[in-house]
Amino acid sequence: MRPLTEDESKAVFTKLANYIGKNIIHLIDRPDERYCFRLHKDRVYYATETSMRLAISVARPSLVSLGTCFGKFTKSGKFKLHIMALDYLAQYAKYKVWIKPNGEMPFLYGNHVLKAHLGRITEDTPEHQGVVIFSMSDVPLGFGVTARSTVDTRKLDPTAIIVFHQADVGEYLRDEETLF
Amino acid sequence: MDVSNILASHAAKFQTTNVEKDIAIEVDPGYLTTADFNSIDEESYKWNLEEHLQSLARDGTQALINALFSLPTASSPEGPIAQLPPPTTELPRAKPLPKPKPPTKWELFAAAKGIQKKKKEKKEWDEERQEWVDRWGKDGKNKQVEEQWLTEVPHNANIDHDPRKTAREERKARVAKNEKQRLQNLARAAETTPQESRKRDIERTLVQARTSTASMGRFDKQLEGEKKPRGIKRKFNPTETSADDERKASLALLTRMESDDKKMRKESPREGNIVNVRKAVRHASKGEGAIALARKGEDGKKRKGRR
Repeated sequence: MRPLTEDESKAVFTKLANYIGKNIIHLIDRPDERYCFRLHKDRVYYATETSMRLAISVARPSLVSLGTCFGKFTKSGKFKLHIMALDYLAQYAKYKVWIKPNGEMPFLYGNHVLKAHLGRITEDTPEHQGVVIFSMSDVPLGFGVTARSTVDTRKLDPTAIIVFHQADVGEYLRDEETLF
Repeated sequence: MDVSNILASHAAKFQTTNVEKDIAIEVDPGYLTTADFNSIDEESYKWNLEEHLQSLARDGTQALINALFSLPTASSPEGPIAQLPPPTTELPRAKPLPKPKPPTKWELFAAAKGIQKKKKEKKEWDEERQEWVDRWGKDGKNKQVEEQWLTEVPHNANIDHDPRKTAREERKARVAKNEKQRLQNLARAAETTPQESRKRDIERTLVQARTSTASMGRFDKQLEGEKKPRGIKRKFNPTETSADDERKASLALLTRMESDDKKMRKESPREGNIVNVRKAVRHASKGEGAIALARKGEDGKKRKGRR
């Protein structure tokens, strides 16, 4: 377990900024407690200072996890967000997409969001923008990247892909072994 | 009185000192070793291994001791000491043969010219002192002028002419020249091919250049395909820093990223567009700006309308 280097934090922050923009400051500068990012076995954890200090005394091979796992660094040095970050992304998301109840299950099985399943979408969402996906009852389901801007979606046919799937809560069941 | 009985019983207690084998045991007293080349008796080997080995060892040792007692001895306070002959067994070399030294520049030249090396004796005959003196070292011949208590000064010499000093400086210069040539010879021997040495030079220069900026290369733009310099260790912050410091560092990084973003956005329109619109407007309006240019256009239209 170690703090992130500058390059690593840059990679993490740019990825997070894709979804929550400047709201990253709320993750770093929290009023309730001090939180920090820690890297352990290529995974980035977001933990309170107290739990981080407790984890220091655990040997490196024995430490399984701490705090919230935000994602992992691939071998080529890119940062990949995991579904566990959804709580924080949903809280601060700049652009949101709501999907209809008949589109929930297809999305939760790892499919892209089609136009037919689109309930609502934030105005002025640009193309290739990270968005958080909610059910119509405002339950966060996952996140992805828009395929088209809000304006362009109007002309599309119902089977066109609106949001590319990146992660969904179904992964808690599907990727249970590798996720944490 | 017949003592043969007693002698026989006494002899039976001890084994004979003669070792008799089908093939005689080879003894090398120089290394204090024996080698037994007889084939192993399978029966006794299987019947009692320990006893078999002990008997083999005893025979070998006996043969060695027999050989030792036949050697010439020298007396000493502790008693007679056997004089060991030089060893005859050929042992393999532990390390490979040393490589021949690469020839120096002079050796190459001498070989080309056919100059034979003449061995110089360390001592030299001194005619004045009528004795053998060292060429160099303490009281050497090469320091004769320096150590003279009285030296003749030429007529046309400068007022500050110091024969001791000049002699000493000349000698020191010769030593320095020799040392320089030695180092050059070493460098020449270490060099492989000119290409390789050039490559090494370039790599060294590159590493030096990369770390020669004000930030020791920390904020330099990484070129594509550029490798990380070898031998520079990664350094991480300690895990147990205060969270407050970490928060400050992260916020600073965020602001820096933001300013970088702005800079990127400013530069990006230039790439796609060949025309610099801002500059074009400035030029067309003669530095008055876009609004003035628009007003001018309107005025022109109105004038046209009036006509």
